Amino acid sequence: MKPATLAMILAGGRVDELNVLTYYRPKSAVPFGGFGRVIDFALSNLMNSGIERIAILSQYRSFSLINHIGNGAAWDMIGRYRGISILPPYIGSEGAEWYRGNADAVYKNLDFIRYHRPEEILILSGDHIYKMDYRDMISYHHEKNADVTMAFIRVPNEKTHRFGVAALDDEDERGGRILNYWEKPQEPQSEWVSLTVFCFKPEVLFDALEMNQRDVSHEFGRDIIPQLMRGNYNLYGYKFHGYWGYTRTVEEYWQSNMDLLGDNPPVDMEKWGLRTNLEHRDIRDCQPVLFGDDVKVQNSLVYNGCKIEGVVKNSILFPGVHVGKGTVIDQCVVFFNNVVGENCRLTKVVTDVNCNYGNGVVVGAEDDSVNDLVTVIGWANSIPEKTRIGKGCTVYPHLMANQWPSVVESGEVLR
Amino acid sequence: MSKRTEALVLLLAGGVGSRLNLLVHSRAKPAVPFAGLYRIIDFSLSNVMNSNLTKVGVLTQYKPLSLMRHLGTGEAWDFIGRSRGIKVLPPRTGFQDSDWYKGTADAVRLNIDFVESNQCDEVVILSGDHIYHMDIETMIAYHRSKKADLTVAMMVVKRSEIHQFGAGIVDEEDRIVDWEEKPKEPRTNLASMGIYVFNRKYLLDVLREDKSEIDFGMHILPKAIDNGNVFAFPFYGYWRDVGTIQAYWEANMDVIKKGSGISPEEWGIRTNIETEGRVADRSPARFGKTANLKCSMISSGCDIKGTVINSILSPGVVVEEGAFVKDSILFTDCQVEKNAVVDLAIFDKGVHVGRNAVVGTGNNHEIPNEKEPSHLYTGITLVGKGAEVPPGQLIGRNCIIHPKTREDAYPGREVDDGASI
Repeated sequence: MKPATLAMILAGGRVDELNVLTYYRPKSAVPFGGFGRVIDFALSNLMNSGIERIAILSQYRSFSLINHIGNGAAWDMIGRYRGISILPPYIGSEGAEWYRGNADAVYKNLDFIRYHRPEEILILSGDHIYKMDYRDMISYHHEKNADVTMAFIRVPNEKTHRFGVAALDDEDERGGRILNYWEKPQEPQSEWVSLTVFCFKPEVLFDALEMNQRDVSHEFGRDIIPQLMRGNYNLYGYKFHGYWGYTRTVEEYWQSNMDLLGDNPPVDMEKWGLRTNLEHRDIRDCQPVLFGDDVKVQNSLVYNGCKIEGVVKNSILFPGVHVGKGTVIDQCVVFFNNVVGENCRLTKVVTDVNCNYGNGVVVGAEDDSVNDLVTVIGWANSIPEKTRIGKGCTVYPHLMANQWPSVVESGEVLR
Repeated sequence: MSKRTEALVLLLAGGVGSRLNLLVHSRAKPAVPFAGLYRIIDFSLSNVMNSNLTKVGVLTQYKPLSLMRHLGTGEAWDFIGRSRGIKVLPPRTGFQDSDWYKGTADAVRLNIDFVESNQCDEVVILSGDHIYHMDIETMIAYHRSKKADLTVAMMVVKRSEIHQFGAGIVDEEDRIVDWEEKPKEPRTNLASMGIYVFNRKYLLDVLREDKSEIDFGMHILPKAIDNGNVFAFPFYGYWRDVGTIQAYWEANMDVIKKGSGISPEEWGIRTNIETEGRVADRSPARFGKTANLKCSMISSGCDIKGTVINSILSPGVVVEEGAFVKDSILFTDCQVEKNAVVDLAIFDKGVHVGRNAVVGTGNNHEIPNEKEPSHLYTGITLVGKGAEVPPGQLIGRNCIIHPKTREDAYPGREVDDGASI
């Protein structure tokens, strides 16, 4: 049956503050949850909402994302009227241009949208951690006969200046008409913050994008919504309640991961119906975790393919991680296929894929002192034996062997 | 290997494997879970996949549903695309021969049409209930180099164990000159692995000859040797027929043991992740603040707050705080509540052990199970699918607790060694 809703995911790009983690992949493809990627949350939400015709707008280093999406089968989006299409920028008869903003990206793919003739278009970002059944928001959108419906969540006042903020007419608990909207206001006048989930009436979207082309800036939050507010449109806010992980910095990313641990974590991946592509990096071929005879593992998440001979505490280990004898991994997020040698100590580290730690390497705090800054190690690094790396360091991907000093001071950036 | 001359594979997966008792209560032996994530048939199927063979017929008979769901479309082992595929071949009626499969050769004979409809030069016949790693491509190359009609994979086995196998006597060229099926006094230490490469025409001729020849080892092979073109392909490496509870338990434990020679991941063993049919993927195994692990294998989706020693846990197993699991194998979604003890046991799926219960109490490992003494006699207690062990219940050694057993079925606080519920 031809679907009524077409979803478009904004895959995001490089985020400066996530530095090396988005060096070779867009934010939505950043590993998360011990076995998946950030975009799995949006994709699983769509799958569980019965929305199965999806386009992903991507232009920044799409390779990792393309591999992750595969043919869409992982989320059952395969078949006659189902599918995930990745839409990159293209050369047209009038020349070539990169996407000049997320609204421009959608504008450049209007023919894709028109081809599918949807009744409504759901536009959402692919880089947030949350669970939502979009059907409820779409029902609300229909009930109010809205031109645009946006999802909002309450956020404490000190943080709202980073987001789009709206004042909602307090009609009911489900939502209300948008009375006022500000993009990243200095002095916010409401606690309702935009999740970057929009539901559009097609004609409204087409008109708004067309008009916006005369502008110099092409972002939904900054330009399209204010433009629609100025016109005579029905804009409604749908109220979302629940966990919402929005990570912009390495520290926030690390904290979102730590939020998965503990006795009652606010994120329950299985309950949320989370699916990833188990073919990506062949994680489906991993055997169960193998624990050796002198190990300790506490308050941690460990996926298949790991081999543990040491101590793992308060950490998240992605598939294929090896932890050698005498090594202690504490408060770390260890991405796919890291191999950590013997007698190492890693504390509050996010280490990207395929890194190799020689014996005796120490990263982060050397003792149990309070350790407040996250060190991030870029992918495919081979850290020589006995190297000491401090707290809050940034190491760029794939350094050469001769680039490694024996000590990397706290706060240093190594490239 | 070019497509036209690629060998056809026949996988015999119809056996009952009755000595596996409760584990084959509702499934065929090849569908029995193994090493946490896998099923026994994954080893043969993955060996076939890794040997670049792409056409497989799976002969089923006994309780095939679990197996068929596991095979799915064959996609899990890359049997996907125009010219690749897995076909399930159950016994079926037709014009002439129609009956249950009476033996290994009989099963193949009743599927002659399948062999005839596939262009191939050789037919590889193997069973789906052994744990091993073999490059079948090498065996086929060997078969061709010897210009054999039939090649049998053989391995060196302790003389004390030969009586379980078909035994072959070979000459200097590895030609099999004599054969004994399960000999009481062996003249050789070469045992048949039940893996055959036949020339297609030779197989068809041999099967058409005598319909009473229903078993390869007992009937077909001895006769074939007289023609003189049967060769032995030497196999070295880990191989286990997990046909008894004790052998099954030992093979699983080998996966945890270093240097045992078995590693599913290194062998490229693949399983079907869709078999469970869940909406969400299993998340990483979760270890609480009180978790205590040693020498064990833990699958995704497990939630461990207690102690697990020398055990293998399939996905979704919950071990609560204070609970203790040792030397055991727990299938998917079992639950061991606070302070319960599980010692030397095998649990089928979804077993629930209440607080403070003990499965495997006492030291009477030698008292065999009353009803099935030949199945359980080494101390292992078996608990069937979905069974409940009530809080505080004590269960001894070599016990059998049937599937779906509820609290009221237990005769008392203690279940004696060797009892069956």
